[in-house]
Amino acid sequence: MSNRLQFWHFGLMPYPHIPPTSEIESTWVTLSNRHYDPEIGHRLYRRYLDESVLAEKLGYDGTCVNEHHQNAYGTMPDPNVMASQIVARTEQIYVGIIGNALPLHQNPLRVAEAVAMLDVISGGRIISGFVRGTGMEYHSLRYNPAESRDRFWEAHDLILEAWTKDGPFAFEGRFYDLPYVNPWPKPYQRPHPPIWLPGMGSLETIDEAAKRRYPFMMVFSPLWFTKMAYDMYRHAAEEKYGYTPSPTQLAFCVATYVAETDEKAHAEAREHIMWLFQRGLWVPPYQWFPPGYVSGRSFRGMLEAKVKHNIKDHWELTYDDLVNDHYVIVGSPQTVAEKLARFTDELGAGVHVGASMQVGDMPHWKVVKNMTLFAEEVMPLFREKGAGPIWSRGELPPGAAELVRAMPEPATVG
Amino acid sequence: MTSVAQSSVQAEMIEVAGTPVALRRRGAGAPLLFLHGAGFTGLWTAFLEELSSAAEVWAPDHIGFGATPAQDWMTGVDDLVLHYEDLRREQGWERIDLVGYSLGGWIAAAYATVSPERVGRLVLITPVGLRVPGKPIADVMMMTPQRLYATLFNDPTNIPQVAPDPSDLGVVVHIYEEMTTVARLLWNPRHDPKLPRRLRRITSPALIVGAEDDRLVPNEMCDLYASLIGGARVERVPGTGHALIIEQPERTARLVLDFLGEGR
Repeated sequence: MSNRLQFWHFGLMPYPHIPPTSEIESTWVTLSNRHYDPEIGHRLYRRYLDESVLAEKLGYDGTCVNEHHQNAYGTMPDPNVMASQIVARTEQIYVGIIGNALPLHQNPLRVAEAVAMLDVISGGRIISGFVRGTGMEYHSLRYNPAESRDRFWEAHDLILEAWTKDGPFAFEGRFYDLPYVNPWPKPYQRPHPPIWLPGMGSLETIDEAAKRRYPFMMVFSPLWFTKMAYDMYRHAAEEKYGYTPSPTQLAFCVATYVAETDEKAHAEAREHIMWLFQRGLWVPPYQWFPPGYVSGRSFRGMLEAKVKHNIKDHWELTYDDLVNDHYVIVGSPQTVAEKLARFTDELGAGVHVGASMQVGDMPHWKVVKNMTLFAEEVMPLFREKGAGPIWSRGELPPGAAELVRAMPEPATVG
Repeated sequence: MTSVAQSSVQAEMIEVAGTPVALRRRGAGAPLLFLHGAGFTGLWTAFLEELSSAAEVWAPDHIGFGATPAQDWMTGVDDLVLHYEDLRREQGWERIDLVGYSLGGWIAAAYATVSPERVGRLVLITPVGLRVPGKPIADVMMMTPQRLYATLFNDPTNIPQVAPDPSDLGVVVHIYEEMTTVARLLWNPRHDPKLPRRLRRITSPALIVGAEDDRLVPNEMCDLYASLIGGARVERVPGTGHALIIEQPERTARLVLDFLGEGR
């Protein structure tokens, strides 16, 4: 393989023991938590964290956590709590929080503080992803979806200023009006931890990411759609913002399973992948898209694209759809490497998130086997001969170099 | 909604304090301002036609509804209250009769607390705006269109008059945009906690018109309004649900006109 690729482990930490979809409205928002057994939850959390820690031993570049509320798809309502656990149990691996859902916080200064704490404790190993949260979260927490986009960017600006300007200073926003912004601690990394923007391919998000040189991550999308989003990113970067993005600015979140042979891989992974898409993402449209969560223009574009490209909802996809459209990558080391090479060669991607993802109701032994085989048989094909993960060779994580370049001189406060 | 069959009164565009507004009007007599709800917008309904037999009916589309464009500055019911106070002043009306349906009932009630002396008679039809403890309004943001209509109507006879065409992309997007306006107005909380105390300021005669069995808004909402507005009384239209102005336009309009007539 000619191209390089980074491998970031990511598990959603689902709670698999839920009723069949025929019996529930949704796996989110209204799925009764009477189905949650804390003793099972305890064992699951311990197990999932062991898998995150294993990612360091096996030489992954990073391991990731994220934020979702009131659902069985991913039981990490506070990603910073999970990141803290991983930071405490590892020494060198990067920890990606992808991300904190900014509009779902009453005061985003709390996010600035928590991420800075983690960055200082870990000695600068934190990636700070920012997301809006899914539409479902706006039903669950009752923040106004029609304000979500504006709140997101105002919170983003507040956090960045809090991290980079000497305090105390006043922040005068529409949603946040704070006379004394002055967080202790400030982040360890300078100017601040890299910021990633995971997304579903909306033009607005892609343009903002390209403008700020933030790594952009496509989540659970078909290959052709990821390619379209990357082309938009590159086009915006080159035509509007005057630079050529590096491959590490283009990330893809694709669940991946490797086994000794193609046949064995499919036999072992299929049912768990179907849990993720058919059950974990069993969500009615009115939960996905509360009013105002996207603009009328974006809503129209989505509906048009759905008809034009025959896009199915996640829970409608068959296993063959998922494999053929590269929503997932499953196969022998050779097959997996060839599919990953399509992302590097055809799409120009440089960061694989969800490498060896724990998927759906997959048991621990399969996760460990998948992670180990992937680390030993696939990862070396995308690295210099004999090279380890980025943290073992002093390489900055995605988004860090661009940040230093894009930053103005440090602000001086009199 | 733009989807609906041709209304017999076409909208004209006017300006209210510089803000463009789509307006339908018909009839002669004292001015009657009809404030629509979150749905059935952009329509000259049979209900309005009945009202126009005895009043000069003004039926504007609220900002961000029907053919009236959305405005960034409109983030709450209070903005609409001042918007309609601007309309009243610009038209030179000393007083107006206010008839508000559902969300429009909230706006009308709030208007009457701000400018009580400007309201001749006040009619609230299955209004929202208050919290009935333990009985929340059904969550329309968590419903398929089919379930929404099944909840709104107890008598399905007149649904075809107002049902949007789900195969028309423009209509679907327009409804999403109207619901976005609704979210901006009342996503959380879905009532005004200050309204109960303020309702005592209302001085005009007031009629609350309820459905026989409203499955969207708790039936107790009407009684709660009546208990907080001095001298208000409640009438209910038999055989109806929340969509009573579509289900029983003549009977509902007759109740309204009889009440307005008491003042003339």
